[in-house]
Amino acid sequence: MTGPNFVYVSYIRTTPEKLWQALTQSAFTRQYWFGHAVESDWKPGSAIRFFAAGKCDVQGEVLASDPYRRLAYSWRVDFDEALRNEEPSRVSFDLEPVGPEVKLTVIHDQFGAGSKVYPGISNGWPMVLASLKSLLETGEPLAATSEAALCAARQRSLDLARATAA
Amino acid sequence: MSKPSYVYVSYIRSTPEKVWQAITDREISKQYWGRSNRSDWKVGSSWEHQRVDGSNITDIVGQVVETRPPHHLVISWATPSDANDPGRVSRVSFDIEPQSAGIVRLTVTHSELEPGSQMERGITWGWPLVLASLKSFLETGEGLPIPKIKEAQQSK
Repeated sequence: MTGPNFVYVSYIRTTPEKLWQALTQSAFTRQYWFGHAVESDWKPGSAIRFFAAGKCDVQGEVLASDPYRRLAYSWRVDFDEALRNEEPSRVSFDLEPVGPEVKLTVIHDQFGAGSKVYPGISNGWPMVLASLKSLLETGEPLAATSEAALCAARQRSLDLARATAA
Repeated sequence: MSKPSYVYVSYIRSTPEKVWQAITDREISKQYWGRSNRSDWKVGSSWEHQRVDGSNITDIVGQVVETRPPHHLVISWATPSDANDPGRVSRVSFDIEPQSAGIVRLTVTHSELEPGSQMERGITWGWPLVLASLKSFLETGEGLPIPKIKEAQQSK
């Protein structure tokens, strides 16, 4: 039995190249992704680490990398014992130019039934993706996704995970 | 069997009042939606979603079901030809909540959709486009060229 899928579509006034950069480079991710830097060479099979405030929060492996068009990687949450034991899920980003915009489709799937990770990510993605859009369109990310908001974000994920217990 | 709901959450650097106005003002809604939302927004009143290309064609109609400005608005939603068929009338809720630091969370819930219907397909494609345009409009002063994007998608 499989768990839920999270799907989010957005349109961002930017280029596929800039959006790809923003998804894969720490200079950008730190700004809109709760202060997370990301380490990877983005080649299929390579490791990925998202870390902030000295802690590795998410680890994964690159599953697909077609620059400026499609990126996919596995996602294992590392910042909490209970969440760490869950099987990795998968995130994919599809970038499609549509006139002066880029249509970004994010799919986070391959969750098991009763996943404790799912509630946190389905709450977090709209915030992170809204902040990414604001950063690319206005030069400023949303303050609610800064590094200062990281502790609250981790706590929210844990609270949501506990609410799904048993 | 319950009917599916479509939910979209967006975070916008704006105020609840500005978001409410963008959704309900007939002139402002034109600027990012490519349509004008027209109503007096009183419970029981009708509302119309009208084209702005000079044709005055109304694509969607409904009634105002609940209103608590600037935080909560519920409207019914149908094409004019389906408006008298309860099975084809769906419902849209807008929840506009202030968050910290000058940010608003906008949650759009489109419920009572007929599973597998053209309307369900249409709104699933349409809401992300309209709400991305609303966010760009409020944050940068410019929305998305929705009619152009629709044309480009339809010609694929």
